[in-house]
Amino acid sequence: MSKAVSWRVALVFGALAALPLTPWMSKYYMLLAFDALLFGAVAMSLDLLMGYTGLVSFGHAAFFGLGAYSTAVLLERGVLSLWLCLGLAVVVVGAYALTVSYFATTRRGIYFALLTLIFAEVVYTFFRYTQTFGGSDGIQGLPAAQLLPGVAIDTPVRIYYLVVAYLLLAYLACRVLVWSHFGRVLVAIRENEDRARFLGYNVQRYKMGVCLISAILTGLAGALYPGRAAYATPDLLHWSISGEFIIMVMIGGLGTLVGPIIGGAFFILLQEKVSSYVEWYSIIVGLVLVLIVLFAPRGLLSFRRAPRGRPGGEAA
Amino acid sequence: MEDGVLLEVESVSKSFGALAALARVSLTVRAGEVFSVIGPNGAGKSTLFNVVAGLYAPTAGRVVLQGEEITGLGPEVINHRGLAKTFQITNIFPGISVYDNVRVAAQSRVPLSGRLPSLWRRPDVDGPVMELLAAFGLTGRRHELAQHLSHGEQRYLEICLALATDPTLLLLDEPTAGMTPGETKGATALIRQIARSRGLTVLLIEHDMSVVMGISDRIAVLHFGEKIAEGPPEAIRSDPQVIDAYLGGAED
Repeated sequence: MSKAVSWRVALVFGALAALPLTPWMSKYYMLLAFDALLFGAVAMSLDLLMGYTGLVSFGHAAFFGLGAYSTAVLLERGVLSLWLCLGLAVVVVGAYALTVSYFATTRRGIYFALLTLIFAEVVYTFFRYTQTFGGSDGIQGLPAAQLLPGVAIDTPVRIYYLVVAYLLLAYLACRVLVWSHFGRVLVAIRENEDRARFLGYNVQRYKMGVCLISAILTGLAGALYPGRAAYATPDLLHWSISGEFIIMVMIGGLGTLVGPIIGGAFFILLQEKVSSYVEWYSIIVGLVLVLIVLFAPRGLLSFRRAPRGRPGGEAA
Repeated sequence: MEDGVLLEVESVSKSFGALAALARVSLTVRAGEVFSVIGPNGAGKSTLFNVVAGLYAPTAGRVVLQGEEITGLGPEVINHRGLAKTFQITNIFPGISVYDNVRVAAQSRVPLSGRLPSLWRRPDVDGPVMELLAAFGLTGRRHELAQHLSHGEQRYLEICLALATDPTLLLLDEPTAGMTPGETKGATALIRQIARSRGLTVLLIEHDMSVVMGISDRIAVLHFGEKIAEGPPEAIRSDPQVIDAYLGGAED
């Protein structure tokens, strides 16, 4: 990472860390900021697939929801360690993602998207319509997880700092990944899959690899969610959530990592603010999104960055 | 393995449904030579290349590269056995820079490739990349997006990609397609020179007879999926069957 970028990252995260110290940050705003950053992190993970590899996943809600349920199941049984919750999420989401991506990566384009959707719907149906994990009610009234024995993450400020730390680590990991040997191959696959094969790259292996990484990052974000909401419900697994993730990436700017974080945060804040005034908020949110797509097709980030070829071409 | 034989195509057939694109075609390419496959449009030249390079499995027959059978293996595996290919229609990474195009090709051969640390490390392949770009006169264009290059430059870039994987055998599918006669001459000379200096074996498809005559050691002629002649350029030039195939035949 260049020095200028490192400084910018330090500045932004410094500001995020200082946010709770400002006087107008009520409990409500702390939790809203949590949501904005959490879904920004999810959109960034999805950008690894959409922006860098050229794969559209319509099933990321399943990764998010499975992560949330992993935490919920442990907390419900009195296992309060945050690290165990995150560990279980990695195992569960990782196993599921390997299965999905093994089948989905044998197909391209719309068929890849459909396979991810179908698998995710199976997961949704299981959680929603069987009573294994509480059916439509999900798992409610969860205690707070503990960072260390006795150190519960039970205040909005602590939960907020947890998501800031997660976003920082996930961002740095993604930055390194897209810069790396592996990341260069992903971009090559996006640009021309067949050419990459004829240069000796096992394209399916790379696609499965990036699916796994993206899914685990999304699952970890999901695992943090019950810490804020004290529940995990099947709604988190619904396909409309996957659709919102895609919208967050699109409005932020494909293949930029930072763009989707902004897109995710923007989407959450817009939805929350508009819905607090009118019930038919979806119409207004939809209208704003249409305007963004019409006037900034390369995403919100393109307002301050001169276009340099195709998205991701300049990345890292 | 016969001495000096690099590639053996043994009685390869390939059908698409009822269409027999290749019928029992055999070729032997020796190490270090420039071997050309010519024939009219639709003669099966590109199909032959796609079978050799692993895009299609042949319906019948065998392909042997450096003494090892490669029939039916995937393109990514065959590439690792020392075969690189360019396509009839330019096949590059359009939306990234010229330099990044060649880099991603060159890094396919570093030991890091395919191993776990490749997730956070990036090999330094600057030397070979710059050398290739210089050989094809693309050094000054390396920061351009590949899609902004001229047609001729894109053809060169694709050869750079293939060469960056350090092949023993280079398959070029009509490398001068769409070039002006002047460009064709320059490109032909350049290919010959680079093949010599790198000790490469080249298997070339050409549509234009005049191109192959100058650079080929041996030539095979395909017509309707069958090999109708094989030999040095002079013999091919005067072969009555070849003249017939190219001029359409007086009796038809």
